[in-house]
Amino acid sequence: MRQTTLSVPLEVKPESSARLTDLIEALRQREETPPLGHPQEYARIMRDVPSLHFMSMSVFPSHDYDPLFILEANFDGPSGAFWGQIEAAFGEDLRAMLRCCKRPLDRDGPLYDAVTAPDSRLAVAPYFEARTMRPSVFHHGNRGMTRDRILDEAALFLAIRDELHEADSDGPSPYRGASAAEAHQKLRAALLPAFPWLDHRAPKRIPLTERATDIVRLLLFAVAAVFIVSLPGIILQAFMRTDRYLIALIGLMIAIVVLLFLKRKPLPGTEAPGKFRPIAFLLRHSLLIVLMLGAYLLIAVPVATGLHMLFRGLGAEAAWQPALRAVLLGLAFIPLALLALVLRLRYLERRDSWHDAPHTDEQSLREMVRREDWIAQNHMGSIVLIKPGVLRSIIIHAGHLGLGLLLRVKATDGYLGSMRTVHFAHWAFLNNHSRLLFFSNFDHSWDSYLDDFIEKAHAGLTLAWGCGVGFPPTRFLVLDGASHGRMFKAWALASRAVSRFWYSAYKDLTVDQIERNARIATGLRRKSMTEKEAGRWMLDL
Amino acid sequence: MHEASILASRNVLRPSPRGLKAWFARRLVGLMPFAFRLMRRFKPIAKMGSLYIATRHDDVRELFATDTAFAVPYKAKLDVITGGQPFFLGMGDTPDYRSGLKAMQDVVRADDLPVLAQGAEQRAEALVQAAGGRIEVVGLVRDVTFGLLGDYFGVPEPAAGSLQMWATRLFEFQFADSGDSPELRAQVDVIAPAMRAHVAAEIERRRSAGGAGGAWGDGGKDDVLARCLALQAASEPGYSDGEIRTALVCMMVGGPPQPPMVVPQALEQLLRRPAALSGAQAAARDGGDEALRGYVWEAMRFDPLAPGLPRVATRTWTLAQGTKRAREIPAGATVLAAFASAMMDERRVPDPHTFDPRRTPHQYIHFGHRLHECFGRHINGATLHRMLKPLLRREGLRRAHGREGRLSKNGPFAERLVVEWG
Repeated sequence: MRQTTLSVPLEVKPESSARLTDLIEALRQREETPPLGHPQEYARIMRDVPSLHFMSMSVFPSHDYDPLFILEANFDGPSGAFWGQIEAAFGEDLRAMLRCCKRPLDRDGPLYDAVTAPDSRLAVAPYFEARTMRPSVFHHGNRGMTRDRILDEAALFLAIRDELHEADSDGPSPYRGASAAEAHQKLRAALLPAFPWLDHRAPKRIPLTERATDIVRLLLFAVAAVFIVSLPGIILQAFMRTDRYLIALIGLMIAIVVLLFLKRKPLPGTEAPGKFRPIAFLLRHSLLIVLMLGAYLLIAVPVATGLHMLFRGLGAEAAWQPALRAVLLGLAFIPLALLALVLRLRYLERRDSWHDAPHTDEQSLREMVRREDWIAQNHMGSIVLIKPGVLRSIIIHAGHLGLGLLLRVKATDGYLGSMRTVHFAHWAFLNNHSRLLFFSNFDHSWDSYLDDFIEKAHAGLTLAWGCGVGFPPTRFLVLDGASHGRMFKAWALASRAVSRFWYSAYKDLTVDQIERNARIATGLRRKSMTEKEAGRWMLDL
Repeated sequence: MHEASILASRNVLRPSPRGLKAWFARRLVGLMPFAFRLMRRFKPIAKMGSLYIATRHDDVRELFATDTAFAVPYKAKLDVITGGQPFFLGMGDTPDYRSGLKAMQDVVRADDLPVLAQGAEQRAEALVQAAGGRIEVVGLVRDVTFGLLGDYFGVPEPAAGSLQMWATRLFEFQFADSGDSPELRAQVDVIAPAMRAHVAAEIERRRSAGGAGGAWGDGGKDDVLARCLALQAASEPGYSDGEIRTALVCMMVGGPPQPPMVVPQALEQLLRRPAALSGAQAAARDGGDEALRGYVWEAMRFDPLAPGLPRVATRTWTLAQGTKRAREIPAGATVLAAFASAMMDERRVPDPHTFDPRRTPHQYIHFGHRLHECFGRHINGATLHRMLKPLLRREGLRRAHGREGRLSKNGPFAERLVVEWG
């Protein structure tokens, strides 16, 4: 089943910020104090909001804006059903929280009035739906795994443990001495009565149509991006002879390369060690780049031929040659366009300011520390201001769009790069795109989470967050930046807010363990295995 | 019809209307889910003549919840049944409503539910066992319900007449007679006084028996009437003879006629879905009452008690205010809260056309919502699935051959469904 990630940012009346914080805290305390008959904390949410994986509520203070209340949710299926569940579980709590928020000045104002009126009985869900913000980039660790499936397979894992542990309590274990395939069958037979769903095939985590849509969307993005970057070249070639066009192109490229070479070094004191090598990265992905350019050619040449036929009244035979020329010369313009962009960016980077010692509120810091590391997972929410400028704005928006589409295609097995610690994470733009929001529900401690990223994915991190005001100095968009580990952590910490309310539906499970459970369950769903398959499968037990 | 013959009639349902008009009406009812679907999409709050219809989940809930603007329209007919004695079903959220409700809540207790559930199952089991492989389900559920709830409330069968027929006819008048049939009214004018007299006589009889025996009720029987009389004796307010009589009449009219409508409908829905039927049977055999209730509740969603419940606007009110579909309902207008449609609204109910016995409670609006949510919802929650349990436990449960194996309806009432097993 498709999972959904969203957040609802609501501006808070400054005078009601403390009240809102109290309401969120009261809700947390109520859910953490199970009533009689409930087996565990958050049991009510487990029961009444069965689609929910993770949810948080935070109030972000700011010196530049009024406080912002953000409800973040990650759940199964479409949002309408989810909001229906939330309405039933927390409707009146959310209404009280809404009353602490500002009335929006756009067309949602009347809905806010109706929902927050004294003694209002109108559902709050439509208002939250109306104010929902879709992420610019998101990552789902365990793609396509519903909450119930995760819980069922976790229960199966524990039952397997018990079965193997107790198998020899009344005599020799039946699994001892059995071949791997026999052990698989015995274990399946032992667990089937308690887990009858093992007799059914596992639902497909990523249906073929979803997969195909993800790939097509990425390809369309690539084609559009190539077209936009090559567009100046396509226009120029119409007014120039091919040889002059190419000479001009090469001449300009050489000039820009020389300038870039001269500016390549970091400013004094801003160099940071990093393993990322842009040229090597491009070479490693050269096949993908060639494939994308091939896809572009396949689409662009027929389209350009058609346009020539339409506007110049040419026949197909006469039209395809100038069309091909235009497309190829447009492609030839891309390196120049990219080099020019990087040069301009480098100019900006050399004049950027950064935050050596960002201010962190001591009390908030203590609150954050107090709430962390109680379970296997943790949560963070952060908001940063975005650096101004048209170029940066274009880069960050196009970058987020492309990164989001790329993650949908590549991150399908829990891994984000080489890390498998993120359950749900997303970025989103706030306040007319002047701020960038980030939420993550991750495994292990905040420190180790960031260390992981600094160590293994500093380039991606720099690319995604380098647009933030105060971010450590960057070079060529992806270098340095997050590699300034201490500075980056201080910057990230200062941008965080206390996660006042945070819910996880499976607090003992890491992304890795969920994938392991899924492999075990998938194996047990099979009636038989070859010895080799069973041997491999047993490594997970 | 002669007064005595009306009271003595054993025909629980009035003869079903015949002819082209009736056929057309039945077809229209069959098309209702499709019409609701179109309305939810294109005209969520529609106006049809003088009637407004709210079809989306959010709007139906708002309509039920906003009792300050939408009142129940039951009082006029309720007065006919009770002889003018007020009952909380016909009231707004007033002190009288709350005290009337509390009076009944004090005698219809949560700790009775397990006994009622067990009683429903035992009675159904006895009837199914005696039937020997073939049974008519509407009659089965009707016998179980009226027997069980008659005993529970302390209202016995009248000497000359049938409680099933009396209560169902009054129920039809109160809730399902939108056309104000003169023929039905004539019958009600006979049945209602008889019903009141019957209950009043029983109150008197039980008081006498209690006074003589030292305990309320026959043999110290602990039923709702006995509890009322005990509280009356303790001078608790809300338990005058008139109030007890009205409450018991209304409980018998409002409650027992409903299960013979919805439970056979639920079984019909299960029979249409072999996988769901198989799941429900597994739950019935394993003793998983919670799981079984899930199956029956879900089956009822596909054919609920009624398409909707009416409310009357007591003041001008904008429904779904602030949304694109907002619509002003003028004071005095009648609005149908189409809960059948709301439970199929994909905006709030995930995969509404999929049979999912594990849905969360808020997706169901079987018994209304907020102020006038059905008083008997907890009793229904405890007993409806238990009435079907003995049947579902049977191996080889199937429809009988021919038309009688398919649920037939008489207006809003389930009329006949025969199943076999073994």
